[in-house]
Amino acid sequence: MGDFGIKDALSSITSEALLEALAVIVAASLLILMVQKAVPVLAAKLSGKPRLYLLASVPLFRLLVIVLTIIVVVPILVEPSFENMIAIFGALGLALGFAFKDYANSLIAGIVTLYEMPYRPGDWIEVNGRYGEVRSIGTRAAEIVTLDDTVIVIPHSLLWNTLLANGNDGTDNLMCVAEVFLDPNHDVGRMLGLFRDAIFACPLTKTYQPVLVTVAAREAGMCYRLKAYPLEPREQARFISDLTARAAEICGDEGVPMVSYPYLQAQKA
Amino acid sequence: MTDNNQADHPCLPGGLIPLEQWRVPETSVRRTIRSGLRDILDQLKAGIHPDEQAFRSLDDLPTLSERQIQDYAPVPDREELARALLNELEQLRRSGGQSRKTSFLVAPPFSGIAEALWASGRRVIAPPDNLLMPERDITGWWDHQLQDDDWVIPELADFWLRHRSGLGLLRELFARLARDKVGEGIIGCSSWCWQFWTQYLPELHLAPLTPSPLSGDRLTNWLGHLAGERSQGPLTARMTQDGLYVLPAPTGDDERKYSLFTRDLATLARGNPGVALAIWRRTLRARPEDDAQQQGEGDAHQEGRQCWVAPLDQLSLPAVPQSSARRSGYLLHALLMHGGLSLGQLELTSGLPGEELRIALSRLERADVVTGDEQEGIFRVQALAYPAVRRYLQSKGYPVDSF
Repeated sequence: MGDFGIKDALSSITSEALLEALAVIVAASLLILMVQKAVPVLAAKLSGKPRLYLLASVPLFRLLVIVLTIIVVVPILVEPSFENMIAIFGALGLALGFAFKDYANSLIAGIVTLYEMPYRPGDWIEVNGRYGEVRSIGTRAAEIVTLDDTVIVIPHSLLWNTLLANGNDGTDNLMCVAEVFLDPNHDVGRMLGLFRDAIFACPLTKTYQPVLVTVAAREAGMCYRLKAYPLEPREQARFISDLTARAAEICGDEGVPMVSYPYLQAQKA
Repeated sequence: MTDNNQADHPCLPGGLIPLEQWRVPETSVRRTIRSGLRDILDQLKAGIHPDEQAFRSLDDLPTLSERQIQDYAPVPDREELARALLNELEQLRRSGGQSRKTSFLVAPPFSGIAEALWASGRRVIAPPDNLLMPERDITGWWDHQLQDDDWVIPELADFWLRHRSGLGLLRELFARLARDKVGEGIIGCSSWCWQFWTQYLPELHLAPLTPSPLSGDRLTNWLGHLAGERSQGPLTARMTQDGLYVLPAPTGDDERKYSLFTRDLATLARGNPGVALAIWRRTLRARPEDDAQQQGEGDAHQEGRQCWVAPLDQLSLPAVPQSSARRSGYLLHALLMHGGLSLGQLELTSGLPGEELRIALSRLERADVVTGDEQEGIFRVQALAYPAVRRYLQSKGYPVDSF
């Protein structure tokens, strides 16, 4: 029993069985690869919920294929008796536990991700100060694409001990905030109303979602925050730009100067 | 109220109902699933068949002449509808169903309410030339317009622009309406315009009325009424594929077998009479032998007025050209909210520069989705394309009306 029965379990593996198992694994890999490439392309042509559902189906499909592949491959290689299963999975567990601890950690977190769904493809998340849209969820890591079109790979293992902010949480509703700082000496009520009108006048605004304008006195001046939902989360950069431009135009028309921190810092210096 | 009104006003089947009671006509599950899948397929096919967007018929049967279409499915008589509306409002006022001085009618585009209100014979309040009127002038303008009773605003969507300086006129009017301080009048409002303003002013409660949706049965009666069944005798319309009857409307002791065509048409048009009529006109067909008889031998009058109806599956209605850019959506949404806009107004509301606007508009015009009135310089969404446009905007996350 020094080898935990692995020798016995593996003694029945023939070269034909190995080839057959390899063929199944290659076929499963190709299928996964094809789905991972094709589905996002199709999803890009859709919008709203169908797009999110389609994207979310990719990792689930992959998990399904992996489980099915294991179910098919194991009986090809070894006789699926209780002793053999204990031996194989015990050895596998030891190997993963010592040699690939971090990798296994990410793999397990990846499975938890599919169950708890802290993020899904199409979600806009922030992890360790990195913000972007989840493009794909792999076995070990997720890929996000930032607003500047940079791909960042985030290992699932970060899930265990990192704060994760999800902007839209599986929906296509993502609140955006355009922030402007104004010189304090002006009619606040009027500016609140004008900024609200500007949000409603923006063709990118989802008017059936809440539209809010808040104001707070800060060191830099009166801080107005224009909060609303864009038609699509992907349009957030354009939406915030549009709202900021509209707010700046209003300030110009009303003669209320905008201020900025660098400007104030320079004044102080 | 519904049955009596249908008998009294065949041009306004079902009469007026409170807005909250409006429901989209029911349809079969099969048709709903098929319609949903077709929407998704249309989106996926973006760019694959760029030239297959305009209306086309998929059958080989000859269409009716323009004169025959005008005879069998004419444009509704706006004055008759105006009389029915005024009569209905008067009845509601007498019965206590309408407590406000101003009647507020909300209806989807192409329902014909605005045209009827123009023809109501009351004093029409037309929009000012400058919709971006300065705030200081707005109060005076409304004071002047509303000084006498018995006025009518046929389409409220003509009084605003989705621009931060274009909201003042309606904001002031709604404030007065909320206090019921505008005298006796009637206001017609597009459902898209109403949808925007109820979100802009969520506390606004004006108890609006709306025409009842056209269900299959109501649509059958309405189409029969339009075809002049009282004055010219009944029009017989049968399906081309199985010969089932569509018109004349069934009577109690009728032994004829009827098609479900009008039910499906009512669903496709979401109970909207203008849209249903536009599609109905495109489905009317003449069989080759009938066409020859009517042209050569003049036997048509002996057999009565007859035509054939192509199934809805055989029609390919205009579709919104798919593209990854959002320009089409901006334009179509703006056009529906305002009931039609000029190029300059579109620039203001959509925020798109003129050149981009013209390119996007020409694409929509080629697809029969938008039509431009050369004299007025106003662009509008086509009635025939309205179902596709509404579905498109909804799928892209735009705020859509509840009709």
